[in-house]
Amino acid sequence: MDRCRPALLLALLLSCGLAQGAGAPDPLGSPMWDYLRERFLGDDRYRFDDRVRVELPPFAEDPTQVPVTIDATALKVPVERILIWADLNPIQHIATLYPLSDRVAPALSLRIKVQQATVVRAAVLAADGTWYLGGRHIDAAGGGCTAPSQAAADPYWESHLGEMQGRLFPPHSPDVSQRARFRVVHPMDTGLVDGIPEFYIERARLEDEHSHALMRLELSPPVSENPMLSFDTRGVRELRLWLRDNNGNEFATGVAAGGE
Amino acid sequence: MRACLLLIWVLLVLPAHGAAFDYGLEPRLIAPDTWLVEGRREAFSEHNGGHIVNVVFLATDEGVLLFDTGPSRRFGEQLRAAIGRITDKPVVHVFNSHAHPDHFLGNQAFDDAVIWALPAVRELMARDGEALAGNLYGLVGDWMRGTAVRLPDRSIEQERFDFGGHRLRLIALQGHTGADLALLDETTGVLLAGDLVFHQRALTTPQTPGIGVWLDDLERLEKIGYRLLVPGHGPPAPDARALIQTRDYLNWLDRLLRESAEAGLTMNEAMRAALDPRFEGVALRRYELQRSVSHLYPSYEQRALTSPPGPKYHEKAHR
Repeated sequence: MDRCRPALLLALLLSCGLAQGAGAPDPLGSPMWDYLRERFLGDDRYRFDDRVRVELPPFAEDPTQVPVTIDATALKVPVERILIWADLNPIQHIATLYPLSDRVAPALSLRIKVQQATVVRAAVLAADGTWYLGGRHIDAAGGGCTAPSQAAADPYWESHLGEMQGRLFPPHSPDVSQRARFRVVHPMDTGLVDGIPEFYIERARLEDEHSHALMRLELSPPVSENPMLSFDTRGVRELRLWLRDNNGNEFATGVAAGGE
Repeated sequence: MRACLLLIWVLLVLPAHGAAFDYGLEPRLIAPDTWLVEGRREAFSEHNGGHIVNVVFLATDEGVLLFDTGPSRRFGEQLRAAIGRITDKPVVHVFNSHAHPDHFLGNQAFDDAVIWALPAVRELMARDGEALAGNLYGLVGDWMRGTAVRLPDRSIEQERFDFGGHRLRLIALQGHTGADLALLDETTGVLLAGDLVFHQRALTTPQTPGIGVWLDDLERLEKIGYRLLVPGHGPPAPDARALIQTRDYLNWLDRLLRESAEAGLTMNEAMRAALDPRFEGVALRRYELQRSVSHLYPSYEQRALTSPPGPKYHEKAHR
């Protein structure tokens, strides 16, 4: 009997570990968790993991422009895909990332609209078929998705649609990534405002100087008006970001290292 | 049973809301005829009912002149009662310094006085007032009951305003919200700076037309001779220290946002920036930095993406 105890303890410990990780209930206690898990992850294996970093301010000062950073670098596993969503938005999906090269970090910074206080999540699909989940709660007075874009009241965007700016910022030290930032003029209309149809950028591709894709992205209307996308890259001389909206308009711009 | 339920109700409700929504307003004499009701150095909460703002009144033989009316109808009514404990003269003139809700939503309690504001302040109140009041309901709750936007009656077009033996100067500025009033009492030397000056409480930037515009206003105020400066938030000061703190903070904020954008930092990274130890005693520093990054950082980012840094860059970043 005594000899069995260590094995029993080990089994108990293992099952506790599993209860907190794989198949566990939502540590953020969101009412939408079960529904969205089924929708986005199906019956796949998943676990909550703090190494999937989701960064948000504690409150949404402007619910139409909430800064979100997601970063799966600390997982240190090959990443197939990253899903980003907000549990309590009328349109939950924000973006899906497909990192295609080790010269780009499995990470993205952007700004999103939130309709009310919500959990924002990143689900990272590793090469072994397991989803690793990170998330964070944000407080908000609300209204970000059903507020008309500023562009809806201002004809400026019509003559500037798709204008892009970008810059490749050098790393502060050799072991740190380069930061590539891109901004594009686009209303990113959600279709949830009366009389303003859905109009948003739905595809993006980050390429190097040889047109090799470093990352592919699928975007949804909760990405904020005039999107600002930030990537972390390593050892690239030139980058190009290509975009296409749901009306078929294509936009692109390039940035180069040490150009300034 | 009923008594027991009542007791539970009292125990639950009283600690949460204070004794029956009592703001506990106690005016303090700061100069001849001049009384200050000082707000808490806090953010809006159900605990403080929005009493985070300074309100000043002049109690003269001709009646009372009031500068700002507070965040709610209840506040206005309690302010009126507090004034009544000091003088039996009526409130004759009310000034709304600017269109932020904590400064004018007490207007309803002064319906029989003439309410004055800069023309652009009145326009902003008419446009945004209901939304601002609704937002404040969400933040402080039932303290707001019965509060509605009461617009000013008269536009300030003049610079001189003499009342009750006080020579007053009305100063039209822009830095905080695009239309901001300061008032100098030349008789007592008291300068009511409104929200152009914050003291020991981090300043707020949701409608500022730009840090450069705000700094220009401070330069103008600095040249005015005064004996006591009353900021919109925080304690009064007998010297320039409140004004200097506001200016230093604005310069620090401008530089932080510019350098962050030039280094390619994201908004979340800028919000996490190290705070300057010079402002250690300033309340709500992190909270207001997060808000200010949200308000102001996009224009700094855009500049960092479009124009390379050069000698003219600093100046442009201000405007």
